[in-house]
Amino acid sequence: MKFSYLLKGITASVFGAAMLLTGGTAQADYPCKEATFIVPYSPGGGSDQMARRLVPGLEEALGVGVNIVYKTGGGGAVGFSELHRSAPDGCTFSNTVVPNVIISSKGEGVGYKPGDFEYIGMTESSAGTLMVPKDSKYKTIEDFIAAANENPGMLTVAGTGGSGLSRWNQLESVLGIETTYVPVGGGVGKMIPMLAGSHVDGAATGANHATKHKGIVDAILVAGPNEVPTLPGVPNEPDWNYVITWGLMAPPGTPSDIVATLNAALRSAASDPAVQDALTKGGYVTHDMSVADVNAFMDAEIAKYAD
Amino acid sequence: MFEAFFMAISPTYLMYMTIGVLLGLVVGTLPGLTATMGTALLVPFTFGLPTGEGIAMLGGLYVCAMFSDAIPACLVNTPGTPAAMATGFDGHPMVKQGRGQEAIVAACFSSALGTIFGAACYLLLAWPMVSVALKFGPPQFFWLGVFALTIIGSLAGKSILKGLAGAAIGIIISCIGISHAAEVNRFTLNIPELRGGVSLVAALIGVFAVPQVLSMILNLRKEEYVAEYKPEKGVILKTIIKVISAPIHFLRSGVIGAFIGILPGAGSPIAAIVSYNEALRWSRDKSQYGKGDVRGVTASEIANNAAAPAAMIPLVTLGVPGSAPAAVIAGALMLRGLNPGPELFGTNATLVYSFGWSLLIAGIVVFFIGMLATPILVRIIKIPLRLLAPLIMFLAIIGAYAIRNNVFDVYLMLVIGLFVFLIRPLGFHPGPIGLGFILGPIIEPSLVQALYISHAVGVQRVFFSGSVSIILISLSIISVSAVAISRYRSRKKIDAT
Repeated sequence: MKFSYLLKGITASVFGAAMLLTGGTAQADYPCKEATFIVPYSPGGGSDQMARRLVPGLEEALGVGVNIVYKTGGGGAVGFSELHRSAPDGCTFSNTVVPNVIISSKGEGVGYKPGDFEYIGMTESSAGTLMVPKDSKYKTIEDFIAAANENPGMLTVAGTGGSGLSRWNQLESVLGIETTYVPVGGGVGKMIPMLAGSHVDGAATGANHATKHKGIVDAILVAGPNEVPTLPGVPNEPDWNYVITWGLMAPPGTPSDIVATLNAALRSAASDPAVQDALTKGGYVTHDMSVADVNAFMDAEIAKYAD
Repeated sequence: MFEAFFMAISPTYLMYMTIGVLLGLVVGTLPGLTATMGTALLVPFTFGLPTGEGIAMLGGLYVCAMFSDAIPACLVNTPGTPAAMATGFDGHPMVKQGRGQEAIVAACFSSALGTIFGAACYLLLAWPMVSVALKFGPPQFFWLGVFALTIIGSLAGKSILKGLAGAAIGIIISCIGISHAAEVNRFTLNIPELRGGVSLVAALIGVFAVPQVLSMILNLRKEEYVAEYKPEKGVILKTIIKVISAPIHFLRSGVIGAFIGILPGAGSPIAAIVSYNEALRWSRDKSQYGKGDVRGVTASEIANNAAAPAAMIPLVTLGVPGSAPAAVIAGALMLRGLNPGPELFGTNATLVYSFGWSLLIAGIVVFFIGMLATPILVRIIKIPLRLLAPLIMFLAIIGAYAIRNNVFDVYLMLVIGLFVFLIRPLGFHPGPIGLGFILGPIIEPSLVQALYISHAVGVQRVFFSGSVSIILISLSIISVSAVAISRYRSRKKIDAT
């Protein structure tokens, strides 16, 4: 035990030294000594990576250290409600994922509404994509539709929980097909091996995942009107309304001048060429939104999922 | 591959990997600081390093935490991470018998062997193994979970029924929160914190640490120490010889650990449980298991350590991490603009192989550092109970809080602990309850997903076809009937006398 205390001490001092190095002086228009960045999903996941990509730029722009804190569970609901309860002083903010933040709020007793939060900005989005295993019988979306029509309800498609279900049902009605939906919880990580091992016939999730896992899965359909540059030649379905958007948000009632400061810091962090490059190569579309833009965007999204 | 080997033995690689191992020793020893949290905390500090050194450091932390979590499991019956639960089944009784040093040395040496075995699989068998892993879909995971549950037969103590009830309690508690599939609130009592479910780590700390502390306090007048500490000369060599002289036991545990390690979502805790159960099944003399059989410790530790490097196999071949710490390492690579998976294997195979060598060498480093630390660590039991009990409670509270930074988890941990303490005199063991906690999150979502798939293709085809399912079902049946037969026989023996 003594030994581990010694080590603990060494670790603590290493951490402390690093804090000092990253600390620096606080800027006049940002009132906090340090900031807390709540990541509502597991370490290593997409939101964690987004946070880590942005933290160096945020620290530089805000002039204070930014600490990542994981508050995982409930499809993001635990972290979102933690942010909802946090002091609205701008010192605490979190990732936000649309539509997850909207759909998760529909549960009983969640204690937050998506309209409550102060949105800081959206930095990236990815179009919904239908993927099949590399060795699938269905090479194109036409093959897939034909098979689904031949045997209604016999094809299985995996998606992420309830938000995935609503988006998949929408595509089903656009294409006029009937399939069986298989919900996967706890992130996309578990969906990819399920698809690669042909335990399901297809999977619907963001183009970023289809890009990352190009080596083992094929994309056969992309939502929306625009081609995804990392998935060349994959046909679009303009009527499929499935986009996942990532950004930052602050607790309800955060003063607008601090939200503006955070917005400026976020935009400068996200405009870093290395960040932009990583996102473009990863199959994302990057965004640069003012506070007014992001509020208009959120109003539209909340209306979209109002049913 | 040899170029990669020389990279891995370069001084900077060795240095950072050793720092990782030292950090892993702390992380694993403290209950609540899991390998996942440890690697996540370390990631920002690796950014200043070249990629190879950075991930070698993370890998060193990971594999060492899979050893050091055995230390609190043995000494104070509280697993440092969920993977060490099965280690404590025999490790703690060993300590109580004054064989603490032997238990820790066995854990350390078998962890080192397990790591080396897992890393060898990573270096040599990555592709063939991953093709087997892909055969695991929802129904196969379900049957794997059922098979792992059959260990209740050996954990339950006197009453199988109470063992089953204990596991059921564990599984039901693991179901609290938003369901994986339909996102329905279950047993959440309108408490927002419960929507995220009960944290496995906090629950396990509750099940093991709290009753331990409470019974320490109750027995304070009778006992002053956990156990006697008798340093024994030559115990290191004797223990090592004991482990080496059972090569079949080693291979079995290693193979189980490596195979379960590559299954995304299964990981070290399940590897340790299945390996423990198989060690028991294949032993001629089963009487000492659960009472301080060193083979129980080695089976669990070999498997949970072999599972750690193996969890990197699906990461480098498919781009899918095999465990939560592997997911953090994947994230660290992606932040550097590298895409772990077939792409990275194709473009930078040297990096992929040097990581494997680093893990292998980390196994050796774990052994030496563990050997140096053992004499100090074993002295924990020389702390009088009146100091040790509050110390364990203190660490338990910090651990339960640290895992999700949520004080609610501390309350949950205390409630679950008190509950287990109260039902223990009725003949319920903590083992099956902990087992339910670990297996619930595997069994329940895979059962639900398999049922959804069966809407399309039929229940019979989903659950009862395919070689993997058939093998797992047969093993489960054999396992259950073996327990039934041996229980029947021993009861007859008691009746006859």
